[in-house]
Amino acid sequence: MANLLWIQAVCCGGETVSLLNSDHPNLQAAMRTLDVTVLWHRYLYDHGRGKMEQVLDECAAGKLHVDLLVVEGAMYSRAPQAATWASGGPYTDWVRAICSMADYAVAVGTCASFGGIMATGRNPMGATGLQYCRSEPGGLLGADYRSRAGLPVVNVPGCPAHPDWIIGTLWALRSGRLREADLDRFNRPRVYYGKLAHHACPRNEYYEFKASATAYSQQGCLFENLGCKGTLCESDCNERLWLTRTGSCTRGGFPCLSCTSPEFPDGFAPFFETAKLGDIPTSLPLDVPKAWYVGISGLSKLACPERLRRNAVSFKPVLIE
Amino acid sequence: MATKTIVFSPFARLEGDLQVKVDVEEGRVVRAYASGTLYRGFEALLRGRDPLDAIVITPRVCGQCGLAHSAASAGAIRSLLGTQMPPNAYVATNVMLAIELVLSHLAHFYLSFAPDLAEPPYDDEATRRFLPLRGSSFLGALRAREEILGVLGLFAGKWPNTLAIQPGGTTRPLDASEIRRARGLLGEFTEFVRQQVIGCEPDEWLALRSASDLDAWLGEGAHAASDVGAFATFSLKQGLDRLGKWPARFMSSGGWPRATGETLMKPGACEADGDAAEFCPGKMLEHVKHSWYDPSEGGVHPFDGEGEPAPDRADAYSWAKAPRYAGAPAEAGPLARMVNDGDPLVVGLLRRHGPSAFVREMARLHETLRLLRQIGIWLNEVAPEEPFYRETPRVESGSGVAVVEAPRGTLGHWLRAEGGKIRNYQIITPTGWNLSPRDSEDRPGPLEMALVGTPVPDLARPVAISHVVKSFDPCLFCTVH
Repeated sequence: MANLLWIQAVCCGGETVSLLNSDHPNLQAAMRTLDVTVLWHRYLYDHGRGKMEQVLDECAAGKLHVDLLVVEGAMYSRAPQAATWASGGPYTDWVRAICSMADYAVAVGTCASFGGIMATGRNPMGATGLQYCRSEPGGLLGADYRSRAGLPVVNVPGCPAHPDWIIGTLWALRSGRLREADLDRFNRPRVYYGKLAHHACPRNEYYEFKASATAYSQQGCLFENLGCKGTLCESDCNERLWLTRTGSCTRGGFPCLSCTSPEFPDGFAPFFETAKLGDIPTSLPLDVPKAWYVGISGLSKLACPERLRRNAVSFKPVLIE
Repeated sequence: MATKTIVFSPFARLEGDLQVKVDVEEGRVVRAYASGTLYRGFEALLRGRDPLDAIVITPRVCGQCGLAHSAASAGAIRSLLGTQMPPNAYVATNVMLAIELVLSHLAHFYLSFAPDLAEPPYDDEATRRFLPLRGSSFLGALRAREEILGVLGLFAGKWPNTLAIQPGGTTRPLDASEIRRARGLLGEFTEFVRQQVIGCEPDEWLALRSASDLDAWLGEGAHAASDVGAFATFSLKQGLDRLGKWPARFMSSGGWPRATGETLMKPGACEADGDAAEFCPGKMLEHVKHSWYDPSEGGVHPFDGEGEPAPDRADAYSWAKAPRYAGAPAEAGPLARMVNDGDPLVVGLLRRHGPSAFVREMARLHETLRLLRQIGIWLNEVAPEEPFYRETPRVESGSGVAVVEAPRGTLGHWLRAEGGKIRNYQIITPTGWNLSPRDSEDRPGPLEMALVGTPVPDLARPVAISHVVKSFDPCLFCTVH
C-alpha cells in the first residue's frame, strides 16, 4: 500500500472541490483504483491517522514514507510567516522538507504549479509555484529539484484543474507509468495538456468563418471580440468537458482565459476583450502564421454563410428558410 | 483558579486555516480567540485594475462559494452603473447560487460535521455511516454530487470559477431541451435526498412547522433511519442543543432576488428573542484593533477601508477584520436567514433549543431542502425565448455595493472606481462576521462568545469545541481573503 499526502498551502480550496466533483469515475472508485492510504487530506484522510501536525512531522522526518505528495496552493517565498500553521511554522518549511522525502511531488492547480492568481500584480508576499514562478523555472524548490523517483514536480495546472487530470496523473505515477518524456516544457503531462481548449469547441464553425459574437450569450465565436484565449490554452477542456460532462468555459458562453498557462492570469489581460492592432488580434492562435491568418480570415468573412452571420449575434437559433 | 490555555490549529475537515485559542477553567471555556492565520491580500491586488477583473479574481477567494463572489462582484458593478439584468438572468443566477448552496451545505454536513460524530469519543452504530471514505452515507453523498453538478454545468459551464455571471446578465442561454435535461438531473439528485438524506418526500419534510412536528416525524422508522433522522436523534442525545449559544443577533439580506428586487427570504437583523430590525448594508463597519492591519480609530465603512497589512502588530491576533452591524457582532448563515424569514420549523427549534450548534445544523439541512425545491420552481420560470443578457456600459467612476447570500451567510462587495480603474475594493464575508475577532471595544465575535461555557472534560480531545466551531461552517479561505 502506498501513502498519499495532500497539503493545502496558500489556496482557495478549489482543487479539492474539483477533486470532489469527479464523475466517471466517481471519487470513491477513483480512490479505490489508486489504492493508497491517505495520510492527510483536509476531508478525505483515513480514519484514525492522528493529528495533521503529527502526520506532517513524521513525513518530514522520514518516519512515514510519502509515495505521492500533492500540493494545492501557492508558496510565499518572500514572506513565509504570512502563511503558517500556527503550531508548526511556515508552510514553505514543511513543503520543502517533505518534497525532499517524497517519491513524487505533484502540484495541483495553477497556484501550486506556477503561482497563479496569488502571484498577480505586485505580489508582495512573493507567491510562487513549487518549481516555477510563472514561466520562470525555479520556484520554491529550484529548477534542479528531483523527487526521490527522479522526476521534477509534476504540474497539473488549471484554475481549477479538471478532476480527470488530477486523478489520471496520480494513477499514472502510482503505477510507474509517467516518465519525464511524458511531460511538456512546463512539466505538465502531455496527454492532458497537449491539445488546445479550442479543439472541439462547439463554436468552431463560427471561428472558421470569423462569425463572431459581439456580446455575451450570443452563439458566435468569442475569439475576435470577447477575449477568448481558447486557441492559446493548452488543455483538453472542450473534448473532456466539465461537471458531469455538461460544460466548459466556451460552452458556458464566456471566454477561456487560458488558466492552465504559467502566465495566468496577468498574461491574459484584458480578460473580456480581444487586444487588437488595427483589426487583427495581437494574440493569434499558437502556431498560425500571422500573414496567413490575415489572408484567410478576410476570405472567411467574405465566404461566411448567412446562417452563421445571423446566428453569431443571436442568443437563440435563427432559422434561415 | 487554575486557567489552562489550549490552542487548536489547524482544524481537521474545515475550509482554510483557523486557530482557536481557549482559556479553560474548571473544565469549561471562559474565553476564546479565533484567528485566521493566513494572509492572501485580494483587496490589495484588485487596486488599480479594470473593475471587470473583479469578476475573474474574487471568485478565486473561495473554491466553495466562488459563484457567490462572482454574483457579488457583477452586482457591485451593476450597482455602480445603475443597470438591470433581464429577468432570465436573475432566475439563472439564482439557480446557480442555489446549487452552490446545496453543494456547500451537503459537503459541510457529510465531509465536515457528521464525520466527527463517527469517531472517538463516540462509537455509535447510528453514526458509523458518516465515517470518512468508508461510511455508506459519506460515500453516497459523494456520488450524488454528480447529478446536481450536471445541472450547474448547463448554466455555468465550469465550476469552480465560472464567468457565467456578468454585470449585464448571464452568458449561457438555455433552450427548452436543456431545461428539460436540467430537470431530469435535478430529479435524480432529489431521489438521493429522498432515499438517503430524509427518508421521505421532500414535501413531507417541508410541511414540518414546529419542534413537535419534528418529534413526530422522527418517530417514524424510515425517517429515523435517514441521515437527518439519525443525526438529529444522536445529536440531541449527545447534547449538541446545549452547545454554542450566544446572545445572538441574526443578519440576513434575504438573498436570491427577482428582477423586481424582491428577495426569496425576508431580510432583516433580529435578536434571538427580541425585536426585528431592517437590514441595511450602510450599518456595517469594520474594526481592526485586533487584526494585523494598519490601526484605525473605531470602525470604518468598507467604502473607506484600505486594509494595509501590518503583520508585526503585537496587539493583534488575526488576519480577519472585525465587522460589526449597527455597532454589534452579528451571526450570518442559514440559521440567521431562516430566523429573519420567520421559517416556522427553525423558529420553533430556536425557541426550544436556543441558538445552539444543533439548531444551526438543522437550519442548514432544512435550508438545503427549501432551496432544492426552489431550484425546481426556478427551472420552470426560465423563458428560453427571452434574452439572458443586456449590454452594459464601461465602468468609469463611481461606487457600487452588492450584498448576496452565500451558502455560509451574507457576503458584501464594495467597489469604488476612478477613471476606469478600481480605487478601492472591500469584501466582507459570512465567516468574517461569524468568526470575527474582538472589535475596538474589545467585544468578542459570535464564535468567540458561543464558545464560552463549552465543556472541555478532556483537554486532549476537545470534541465539543469542534462541534461549536463547525456549527458556524467557517470558511477561512474567504475570511482571510
